[in-house]
Amino acid sequence: MMCRVARSFGVAALSLCALAQTPPRRAAQPARPPAQNANPGITEATAEALWRAQDYKGAMAAFDALIAAHPENAELRLREGQLFLERYNPDEAKKLYQEAIEIDPKFARAYLALAELLAEDYNSKAAEAADKALELDPKMYQAHELKARMALEDDDYKKAIEEADSALAINPNALQALAVRAAIDLLQDKESAWLTKIDGRARGFETIAHFFVINRRYEDGIIYYRKAIASDPQLWSAHSQMAINLMRLGREDEARKELELAFNNHFTDSQTTNSLRLMDTYGDYKTFVTPTTILKLHKKEAEALHPYFEAEMLRAMAVYEKKYQFKLKTPIQVEVYPNHEDFAVRTMGMPGLGALGVTFNATIAMDSPSGRPPGQFHWASTLWHEMSHVYILTLTNYRVPRWFTEGVAVHEETATTPDWGDRITPDIIVALRDKKLLPVAEIDRGFVHPKFPAQVIVSYFEAGKMCDYIAERWGETKLLDMAHQFAKNRPTVDVIRDELKIEPEAFDKDFLAYLDKQTGFTVKNFETWTKGIGELNKLARNPTAMAALAGHSGAVVPKNGAPIDVPAEGTVPPDDIIAKARALELLYPDYVEAGNPYLIAAKACLAKQDKACALEEYAKYSKQSGRDAEAIKKYSDLLKEAGKQTEAAAALERLNAVNPLDQDLHEKLGALYLATNKAPLAVREYSAVVALKPLDVAGSHYNLAMAYKAQGLEDKAREEALTALEAAPDYRPAQKLLLQLSGEGLKR
Amino acid sequence: MGCCLKKILLLGAALALCAPAFATTYILTIAGFGGEEDYEKRFVLLANDTDKILRGGGGTDRSIETLKGPEATKAKVTASLAKIASEAKAQDVLILMMIGHGTFDGAEYKFNLPGPDISATELAAALNRIPAARQLVVDMTSASGGATAALKKEGRTVITATKSGSEKNATLFARYWVEALRDPSADTDKNEIVSALEAFHYAQTKTAAFFTEQKRLATEHAQLAAEDQQRAAAFPLVRYGSAAAVVTDPAKQALVAKKEEIENKIDALKYQKDLMAPEDYKRQIAAFLLDLARTQEAIEK
Repeated sequence: MMCRVARSFGVAALSLCALAQTPPRRAAQPARPPAQNANPGITEATAEALWRAQDYKGAMAAFDALIAAHPENAELRLREGQLFLERYNPDEAKKLYQEAIEIDPKFARAYLALAELLAEDYNSKAAEAADKALELDPKMYQAHELKARMALEDDDYKKAIEEADSALAINPNALQALAVRAAIDLLQDKESAWLTKIDGRARGFETIAHFFVINRRYEDGIIYYRKAIASDPQLWSAHSQMAINLMRLGREDEARKELELAFNNHFTDSQTTNSLRLMDTYGDYKTFVTPTTILKLHKKEAEALHPYFEAEMLRAMAVYEKKYQFKLKTPIQVEVYPNHEDFAVRTMGMPGLGALGVTFNATIAMDSPSGRPPGQFHWASTLWHEMSHVYILTLTNYRVPRWFTEGVAVHEETATTPDWGDRITPDIIVALRDKKLLPVAEIDRGFVHPKFPAQVIVSYFEAGKMCDYIAERWGETKLLDMAHQFAKNRPTVDVIRDELKIEPEAFDKDFLAYLDKQTGFTVKNFETWTKGIGELNKLARNPTAMAALAGHSGAVVPKNGAPIDVPAEGTVPPDDIIAKARALELLYPDYVEAGNPYLIAAKACLAKQDKACALEEYAKYSKQSGRDAEAIKKYSDLLKEAGKQTEAAAALERLNAVNPLDQDLHEKLGALYLATNKAPLAVREYSAVVALKPLDVAGSHYNLAMAYKAQGLEDKAREEALTALEAAPDYRPAQKLLLQLSGEGLKR
Repeated sequence: MGCCLKKILLLGAALALCAPAFATTYILTIAGFGGEEDYEKRFVLLANDTDKILRGGGGTDRSIETLKGPEATKAKVTASLAKIASEAKAQDVLILMMIGHGTFDGAEYKFNLPGPDISATELAAALNRIPAARQLVVDMTSASGGATAALKKEGRTVITATKSGSEKNATLFARYWVEALRDPSADTDKNEIVSALEAFHYAQTKTAAFFTEQKRLATEHAQLAAEDQQRAAAFPLVRYGSAAAVVTDPAKQALVAKKEEIENKIDALKYQKDLMAPEDYKRQIAAFLLDLARTQEAIEK
């Protein structure tokens, strides 16, 4: 899947975002010596027998008793850990593996088990554990198999082949190694002789399916899950994974059937269970269809979001059709989840995903604006990002490296609307300073197996900037040319050479020089900025200086969630604050997050009654993609006061791309559109207010009636006036409007 | 929602809740002890705003007092309530609004004041001495739900910012309550009067929306007992526009009576809505609403 990530969250979630969750990659277990008899009552054979009989609680209890009786037996801990892992408790399994290693630091199989567990979370430490296993037991081919899989996840075919061959040299029948070799051929659209050697073994097909899925080739993945199931109808993990991928592609009936089959056969992992639970809520969604779009919105916000989402989908499609020079054959489906965890389950089968949106072929799932605190999430930018994936994935027949499709998607976030998109974050500046960007030939690794916490975010940024650079130096159409080359399944280095006529190393050098021109000053002065921004915010929090910033709410830290309004009574002149803030703006212009200098300066300007100065600050903030709703509303109010109603509306309109569930925003914008003779837009805005089911039912319908009247739709205006009066029969303005519309009052 | 005549058809006893002509409404607002400078300022600011709004939009039949900062002591509070007790008559109305912090130890609620706090039991005793038959207590402090049991009494409507004494965080409710007094959209029936019920719904909705939007666990849940809601509707807090004028203009009484008759018909029709064919309902309500608009137009002529 392709996805758009939030600006700050943990590595684990990002890694999951980068790769679709797939079945456990446990290889065949190495042979092990029999453990000593624990006691006459409970033996290891008893525990194993209970396990085989699916009496998991009994097996765990038996292992616990054995471990208590033989605390120095590392083997028992390994087996119980493997049991925990099978029963979906990786944390407990990890603990037991680590205990086993502590007891016996030369226990190669425990290292292997730990490596496999870590690899399931795409943790780069897995390779270290696998290496340790091989160091202790060079014949442990399973560790080579694991390393082969991890290399293939990084698209490092060469290393994957080396590791798979090492495994096969030890055991020519090593199934996972054979599957990796087959997958490498199949991903390159080649016939594979390795398939024959798999010899109908289901786990081998399941592994091939896994690699298709993580390369966004869901249809191919489903084909191989079907092969796995045909070989072993009781391979419930394959049933479950096939179902999850069917669900991703919108084939919900078969998905549900397969999930239920797995679940009813005790395959109750979190992905299966969560997916079934989510499917039970599908009745709560409303579907809006056009010839080219399908939009699924939760009933509670469907009417309010529908006009904005559908309009943006159609606008993006019009732009992309022109840019990528083709029309999609099937409608794009967008599913919008108000509960972030539902979105995560829809995507991964698991909660805890850090992404904002994901794309599976022509289906996009994303957070609703209500899924995150207001201002944190630019839904329209996310939608454009994901829709770009649909076009690039379709254009390349799903044969595109991750960096390119993500890079184009990030590029598209601001290509059409420059004041959208995420700006360069402090994490990225630190990565630039520490020279942690990856060469273009290796950048995919940064998405899949990050080696430092912010590497996924940094990789998104880098890929986006690479596409910006290509578009600027070689022209926007070069991105399209490259996409056509990727469609032929050509590797990045070849495409760079052939399309850009430059060696990848030279591309990296030129790109870094380009990036340095844009960011060098900020990177160089980052420490100064960091110190300065801290001081500025400290000053802004100072009670005396605070008074100088009277009338604002942003810099006041709420206590217990309660916003605090502080009256103006200070005497500190705000000019110092403005000067400091403006100096910091120059050092790091992209910084528009909490405590940013633009808003502190703007408030200081207002404290000295200098509205022009405040307008200047708000304008800079807005241009840099600042999204604080209260600040933008203040900006709009100031523009309105200055007689610039059209500009005031434009400032507010930006917020619709951030939080279209803000009733106050729609009321203000509706009034501005009405005042500037843009009745259809006023109707849209006041309709949104009505859809949000406000407390003031009468007022909202009256405003809508006025907008309809301005649009010349008097019948609709009368309907709305009557609805307003039904809620508040004594509402004078609505009464006057009704009389007018009934030909009795004064016509205005 | 102002006077409740139009509700007669639905609420037989409701008429008794309307304040008789020439009744006085006593309003006491108290900003309690903040503890920290920020809270101190905030509470005083909210009390000042309340005072200003009430004095600007309530007509002449009101006696308004606000205690805040160092003067909001237990002695002053009890003295003010005692003074009201000595002046008020049975037909009068009492509105007590409390802004600040409260505590609840599992047995007793206390409103934090400079110096000794005042307990809910002590407040109830002082309020019980006031003859006004209709009383409204709006306790907007933390842990205010812990005061309900002590304050509850026949004829007294109690609004609290929290559902129990265990909701102890500083509250948002007061901020939105005061906002309701100045925001015309709080007047949902558009009769140019913000009632206690309307202010309650406004503040309750805004408070809940704050926590939902911020993805925070709600630490307060405002309470107004279901059986007290209609009573709360009969407490006008702010009047503005022509509503204030009509109240004191005897010349308009005949037209007002006609207007109320139509309003009653509208209420009755709404009550029957679910039993009627939609088109029939729509036609009838449109006719009544148009008639009402014409009557109001006549009143204003």
